[in-house]
Amino acid sequence: MSVDQGVAVVDRSRCVGSGMCIVYAPGTFAHDDEAKAVVLDPAGDDLETVEIAVEACPTSALRLVGDQEEQ
Amino acid sequence: MTTLQALNRDRLKELFDLRSSYNSLMGGDFQTDPYPLWARLRAEAPVHDGTVHKLSGYPGEAFFQGLPFPDQPHFSAFTFAACDAALRDEVTFASSPAVVDGTGEIPGFETSMLSMNGAMHRRYRALVQPSFVPAKAGWWITKWIEETVQLLVDGLVDQGRAELNVDFCAAIPILTITHSFGIPIEQALEVRASLGTPAKIAAMLAPIVAARREDPQDDLISVLVQAELRDEDGVNQRLSDLEIYSFAILLLLAGSGTTWKQMGIVLTALLERPELLAAVRSDRSLLRPAIEEALRWTPTDPMFSRHVTRDTEFFGKHLPAGSVLHLCLGAANRDPARWDRPDEFDPRRPVKRSLGFGGGFHICLGMHVARAEMLVGIGALLDRLPNLRLDPDGPQPRYIGMYERGATEIPVVFG
Repeated sequence: MSVDQGVAVVDRSRCVGSGMCIVYAPGTFAHDDEAKAVVLDPAGDDLETVEIAVEACPTSALRLVGDQEEQ
Repeated sequence: MTTLQALNRDRLKELFDLRSSYNSLMGGDFQTDPYPLWARLRAEAPVHDGTVHKLSGYPGEAFFQGLPFPDQPHFSAFTFAACDAALRDEVTFASSPAVVDGTGEIPGFETSMLSMNGAMHRRYRALVQPSFVPAKAGWWITKWIEETVQLLVDGLVDQGRAELNVDFCAAIPILTITHSFGIPIEQALEVRASLGTPAKIAAMLAPIVAARREDPQDDLISVLVQAELRDEDGVNQRLSDLEIYSFAILLLLAGSGTTWKQMGIVLTALLERPELLAAVRSDRSLLRPAIEEALRWTPTDPMFSRHVTRDTEFFGKHLPAGSVLHLCLGAANRDPARWDRPDEFDPRRPVKRSLGFGGGFHICLGMHVARAEMLVGIGALLDRLPNLRLDPDGPQPRYIGMYERGATEIPVVFG
């Protein structure tokens, strides 16, 4: 993944486990045992797909950060 | 369950016809296509004074979440941006006018998590969310959906014709949700009929709850009796019977009506477009996008409400604390600011979230079950009913309803 590409970060306190991210980017996201979203594979979908999933999160629990940024 | 003989089809029709008296409270008999009017309202201003049904020219009173509250001012939002902003801001736009904490004397959705806010809502929702995640769709399909669907198709496959709205679409969700609760099929329709009388539902659930407390099974009531709620002091507590009844009533209410109508909308949209139906039949990967597009194009629940907690300026309107903001999700889903050719039903359009399942922290808990029911249901029809098409001699389906939209009837022939 190049440095100008983003990776998704999950805010666990806002995630309710709706699963919208998994609908739109099933290659990237999954749920843990508490039904909180986790990034399973940062390269599992192309960037545009991940952006659609981030925008789709109903509780604004996802954001994209650059590779260089502290997560 | 090995037979659907216990299902009373006349009773089914009575309960699952939008025009029946049972469904008229939510404006089920509304015949006008509201979308042209909603387009005009949306173009005029993001937020209007008044309720969606009054603004839509609905004669009389209609009821849904956020209604009637006759003593409060009502406003209605019509753009995607306004509806989305309100759904995402639960501090300004709360799900109920008062604090709901799950305790109380009477079970019902008013005391369920539907009406809770903030951390309280999050704690309750977290108890059931693991049973409703996408990864659980297989559990729902294998345990509850697939067999029901195949039995329903068995019942009509040799007839050459059918009315799919009631005999198929309506039967699947009510049987799925009651079955997953351990309610026998003989009582399934009584559950639907009693949703307005929570005490009756509680009476039906009481023996099941007691039995599952003794001996948990792999079903939803067992999930609820074993769930542990961590209170503010960090102490884990099991749900009371009353909390379980409220939870169950919410799930039964949401799970027995919505998917029926949405599945009918998907089917009708496809049957009205034979070329598209043929494409979906030959390339089944198109079925999921067709379902998503129907959820955008005509969501069965086109309106949900929020209660304004503090004076706020919102998309050009001053909303005083205490007022009710109606979110016309149906209009938001056809906002030309977000979608090209928004009035067109086009499953091949670029993928993008709509508000068909609502949004914010209260976004539909059962959406992946609903998707699974529609995928398995419509998939089975395409698999087993060759040359499925609208009955040219029957009444053509129409989309009707104010706050619960769906098809009038879906007469088909096949073979």
